[in-house]
Amino acid sequence: MAPSKKKHASNQPCVIPGGFTVLSLQFGSDSVAQHQLYVKEHKVRAEKCSHRPLDRTLFVLNIPPYCPEGVVKDLFSQFGSVQLVELRDHPGSFQESGPKLSRFFKPAAKQGFKVGYIVFHNSSSIKAAKSHPHDVPLVVSTEQRPVRTGVQKWIQAYTESFIQPDKLQQIVDSFMEDYDKRKEEEAEKQKEEAEQQQEDEEGWVKVTRGPKGTKARPHSEAANKKALQKEIRKKKRKELLNFYTWQHRNTQKEHIAELRKKFEEDKQRIALLRAQRKFKPY
Amino acid sequence: MKKKQTVAEEPGEMIPPGSSHEKGEDEAPVKAKRSKPEEAEGEGVVYHPVKLSRSDLYRPPSADELNQLKEAESLFHCSLLKMQMEELLKEVALSERRKGQVDSFIQTVTRLLQTVPDSPEVEVSDLSWLSSAVKVPFLLVPKTTKGKFHMAPPASIDLVGSYPLGTCIKPRITVDLAVTIPADVLHPKDVLNQRYPRKRALYLAGLAQHLASSSDIGTMRYSCLHGNRLRPVLLLTPPCKDSSSFTLRVHACPPPGFFKPSRFHPQRNNIRTDWYTGSQTPLSEWSEPPTPHYNSSILGDLLPRAHLQFLSAVSSQCSAFADGVALLKVWLRQRELDQGTGGFNGFLASMLLTYLLITHRISNTMTAYQLLRNSLNFLASTDLTVNGISLARDPDSTAPSLADFHNAFQVVFVDPSGHLNMCADMTACTYKQLQAEASLSMQFWDDPTVDGFHGLLMTPKPMIRTSDHVFQLCELVKLQSSCKKLNLLSELMDHSGNYVHTALPFILSLLQRGLGERIHLLTHSLSPEPEWSVESDAPKHKAQPPLSFGLLLNPELATSVLERGPSADSPKAAEFRQLWGSRSELRRFQDSAITEAVLWEGKSMCQKQLVPKQIITHLLQLHADIPESSVRYVGAMVDDVIKTGSEEPSTGEEESLLVVQSYDDLSRKLWRLEDLPLSITAVQGAHPALRYTQVFPPRPLKMDYSFFDRDKPSRSLVPKEGKPCPAYITPITVICHMEGSGKWPHDRLAIRHIRAAFHIRLGELLKKHHNYTCRPGPTHLDVWKDGLVFRIQVAYHREPQVLRESVTAEGLQVVRDNEEAQALEMATIHKPLLTSTLHGLQQQHPCFGAACRLAKRWLGAQLFSDDITEDTADLLVASVFLQPAPFTPPGSPQVGFLRFLHLLSSFDWRNNPLVVNLNNQLTAADYTEIKNDFMASRESLPVMFIATPKEKKLSIWTKKAPSVQILQRVVMLAAESLKVLEQQLMDGGQIQDVRVVMRPPLDAYDVLIHLNVKQVPLLSQAVDPPTVTFGRGVMAGSVTQAGGALPVIDYNPVALYLAELRESFGDLALFFCDPYGGTVIAVLWKPKAFIPTPFKTSQMTARSVEVTGEQVNAIPNVEAILEDFRIMGQGLVKSVEARTEKWSF
Repeated sequence: MAPSKKKHASNQPCVIPGGFTVLSLQFGSDSVAQHQLYVKEHKVRAEKCSHRPLDRTLFVLNIPPYCPEGVVKDLFSQFGSVQLVELRDHPGSFQESGPKLSRFFKPAAKQGFKVGYIVFHNSSSIKAAKSHPHDVPLVVSTEQRPVRTGVQKWIQAYTESFIQPDKLQQIVDSFMEDYDKRKEEEAEKQKEEAEQQQEDEEGWVKVTRGPKGTKARPHSEAANKKALQKEIRKKKRKELLNFYTWQHRNTQKEHIAELRKKFEEDKQRIALLRAQRKFKPY
Repeated sequence: MKKKQTVAEEPGEMIPPGSSHEKGEDEAPVKAKRSKPEEAEGEGVVYHPVKLSRSDLYRPPSADELNQLKEAESLFHCSLLKMQMEELLKEVALSERRKGQVDSFIQTVTRLLQTVPDSPEVEVSDLSWLSSAVKVPFLLVPKTTKGKFHMAPPASIDLVGSYPLGTCIKPRITVDLAVTIPADVLHPKDVLNQRYPRKRALYLAGLAQHLASSSDIGTMRYSCLHGNRLRPVLLLTPPCKDSSSFTLRVHACPPPGFFKPSRFHPQRNNIRTDWYTGSQTPLSEWSEPPTPHYNSSILGDLLPRAHLQFLSAVSSQCSAFADGVALLKVWLRQRELDQGTGGFNGFLASMLLTYLLITHRISNTMTAYQLLRNSLNFLASTDLTVNGISLARDPDSTAPSLADFHNAFQVVFVDPSGHLNMCADMTACTYKQLQAEASLSMQFWDDPTVDGFHGLLMTPKPMIRTSDHVFQLCELVKLQSSCKKLNLLSELMDHSGNYVHTALPFILSLLQRGLGERIHLLTHSLSPEPEWSVESDAPKHKAQPPLSFGLLLNPELATSVLERGPSADSPKAAEFRQLWGSRSELRRFQDSAITEAVLWEGKSMCQKQLVPKQIITHLLQLHADIPESSVRYVGAMVDDVIKTGSEEPSTGEEESLLVVQSYDDLSRKLWRLEDLPLSITAVQGAHPALRYTQVFPPRPLKMDYSFFDRDKPSRSLVPKEGKPCPAYITPITVICHMEGSGKWPHDRLAIRHIRAAFHIRLGELLKKHHNYTCRPGPTHLDVWKDGLVFRIQVAYHREPQVLRESVTAEGLQVVRDNEEAQALEMATIHKPLLTSTLHGLQQQHPCFGAACRLAKRWLGAQLFSDDITEDTADLLVASVFLQPAPFTPPGSPQVGFLRFLHLLSSFDWRNNPLVVNLNNQLTAADYTEIKNDFMASRESLPVMFIATPKEKKLSIWTKKAPSVQILQRVVMLAAESLKVLEQQLMDGGQIQDVRVVMRPPLDAYDVLIHLNVKQVPLLSQAVDPPTVTFGRGVMAGSVTQAGGALPVIDYNPVALYLAELRESFGDLALFFCDPYGGTVIAVLWKPKAFIPTPFKTSQMTARSVEVTGEQVNAIPNVEAILEDFRIMGQGLVKSVEARTEKWSF
């Protein structure tokens, strides 16, 4: 199917234009078909976050749905010890998620093909991965490490979805505690800021630039709109309608134009129906 | 790499439904060819909002234009209707070219007829002068006839009927030619004993023999006028290619005034009993029974020229007459009232309009639109079965009175001569049907919310789609014995031995009496005019399609199993006993009255639906000697596919009721809970089972614990590996709204956690007070109650708002709509509302739920369940019930289903929004607004647009699906299914298998994944009942109301597998499966999936690469994908069948 398979001599890594190395992957040792993984060192102009160190991170495309984090970690351990595996639906920069959530409250992850960022402990592992021969496939499910799919997996998922009420209650309580704390902190911060805005004894106000996005009072879009509408209404009230002759004439003109438009619309509607032969009764 | 054929290959415009063609090329190729250009045409034109240039809009108006605009403004609604009617008239009018063809053919035939050679005079019974290639178009019973006959050239040849009058319309153009038999062939006494009709038939045979030798005639066939065997006609078509475009109908007539009209008084006898029966004892003329039908059929022959003169005289004064008649004819034709014996044909339509003209009910200056309106109004308000009307201005003294006519005929409309009842053959039922249709039309004509034009003139109303129940008399020969049983000899003589027409009125009145209040209307099909070749003998009376009868049920009374009669001692009791025979019994009722009564069988709703069937078969057997075997009752044939339970068949009404009762109980208990931090403000059901529309309503189950593994801490059962998949238990969603309060946090995650806390608390309380086993979770609380599982979701009304709010980097608080908020609103607001609204609709229309379930069963079987969701399907069926025009609301599930298919296949989804006026909340202004909004932004709206009172602009129900291609396929399959199903239902000759429409055509798909039936939990719901069954961990016996371990809930491997497949390969392929016990998943590659794309990191899922120089292209790694199908469905997938012959690389 992929001609690139045949072009390269055996025991050679297969590198395609664009710098990706093709690794093949199959589910079991007896599988007949193989998926192709595309790996490359992670390289971006400015990686802000420390989770993906540029020299130690391998970027992997096309990871099949039956390879969750654990399996990927095991698969790539043959190239060197793996520190972290991050699987995502689409390539993109690392996103800081909000407060830490228990797995029961996380939105259900999409099952499907993933892209992965694999952080090795050692930067040499990347070279090892990239020079892995194309015709030696990675095997997902082996006897030592079976991967569950199908009915087995679903039954397992069903069992894992259970949670004890008291445990759930505990999670909720701890989260809400956290939440209350955060709220309090925020309120305190605001209060502090408000205090800063006030005059001191000598009548001075301290003016600071302040960090972005923390204004004392958040403006809302709706409020802005309301104000604008108020203005417009005010203007309208002051206007006189049909006071001058030219105004009157204009209104009439508009009316006729409106009627004309409607008439044309009707005519077009009919023409359209006629074109579709919508008038043939049988 | 090209795909050879897929359904979804053309991503183009919607093909207009009318011209879409059935799967494949098995259709007549000619037809397919013809529709091609139409399609292309239809695709090209799309409605665009009108854009007029400024100068066009604001140029000074002329006086004319101003008037026109003003008129359009004041008549907006009806001006569109007027324009539409004008267009329709253009479609049905004959073209000048066609008229030229007709005229030249008439001339040819006239010339030929004038050269008919004379033949020597012979006895009437001597047929030796006739060649064997031509037969006499007459049933010669009895055989003996007196008189002499010879052929002679016609005395005159005239055009009569609709063509010279200008009221002839397409299609089936027939031109009537009256050929006058010369006076010397006939004898004034020929009126007696069918002598004249026989001579006329001979004369026609003579003409046919003469014409047969000519090459200017295409085909020659016999028929008879309005199905009356006494009035044969000769049908001629022109030769070569226009042979099907029109027919010339040759009538033979006596010379005008040859017979005295007074001989045909409805009380006179013109067929002698001794001649008819062959007995030797002649009765005196006055004791002979009258023969009104025979008389009027001969009289009808005398008058066509006079009628034409009369019609042209009146119509010449009214300019819109021809158009008015044309519209009325189209209206009649769509209702199947214009063809066949006893129909309201085009001639009667013209006569009705002239009647209205000369009685000044309509004026000469009215338009066609007004003519149609007034005539329908007249029909709706006048009962010709009681008060006949007459066109005769000053009838001569010998003419019969209206009372005479009423005694002899059921419907009376007297012609200008005053002697002929033009509605002689019409039954009272047909007229009642006409009247009902007219008043129904008048009702929706003025309704601005209904597309009046479509309902009035464009929608065909075949009986199977109009009537709630239909039954057929298959062996018409059995009616002969009915005539005997009903003692109808003299009537049989009057109808010249046509036992079908003789017995029909009596059977109708019998049924009308028996069904009484149960039905609104009883209709019957009109026997079509037989047609046969000149070389064969006239067909027998029984040689016609079975008689069909339609019932319009009264839903409140039709299903009652008790027929309560008069009290035992009242004089009416005898009558009652006579009607019902041995079924009538004396019964004592709760009010201590003792009355005659009949009790029919029927326990479940689906059995009660068929009470009319029991009545009909019983009455026909008792009074008309028609055995049950020859009655084919088409009332609930389709319902089989949703039937469950073998010993007590039920179509789910009873189960639904149980579910609703259990829910009501739960709801009450929730309301009564105390010790909650916030109080409950609303408990709403949000599941189809709670509005009676779940295809297979959940049944209370009792679990067999030994079948499962157990999860001790949560008291739950867990499916065991290696065992068959346990029975599927649907969680019934219940939304529980909590009071709004300042205590609710203003943060999405916090709200989610608080909701979880509520689930825990509710669970605790329900356990404590009612001992229900509960399982709280972050998103819901499952409650095991009465063998059912309810899934309670706590909702907070401000949560969608919180989800929409966000703060931008500048600190501006903005409100942005997003999918999460919409999904939440859908689940907590729209779905519960829809459920309660449709629950209300079910109370108004008892068969709404069953119709929905049939519709959804069909959608499921055709693999469309994921594209047309349950809610969408319910809304579509609701619209069938709420806007039935031009029908009445469906009175049986079957007819509801048929109309649903019709709606799907005929609605113009491209150019119209479907407005479902739930609770009647929308006004005419709303309709206009919806329509305008729709037109303005058509392109960005869903292809299937459904507006409801709460949701006028966005069509939330169909936002995600279906796509254009899928809708196109749905439309096509619905049209095909409707066609097949109606044929199956109406044609008793075919093998009866209505499940045919539930078996999807699988040849269009690229890969079929066959499933292991052991792991398909809903296997027993499959269209074709499975051959193997598995133990699924369910025990027989009564269910416990509370307590016990929680069963396996919402665990369906097929659904899980499908979801996984869609998430993994959704961008490459579409996956289809019947959710109700389907054992095959059909896969269709997307049309664009196989086009090589350049290497892109974001689009590499399941693809392999192909390197050509520096170019890297990605293509789907099909082998690996097929392998993945197997891996991902391990244990569930039996085999993957790749139909590689359909796609190639």
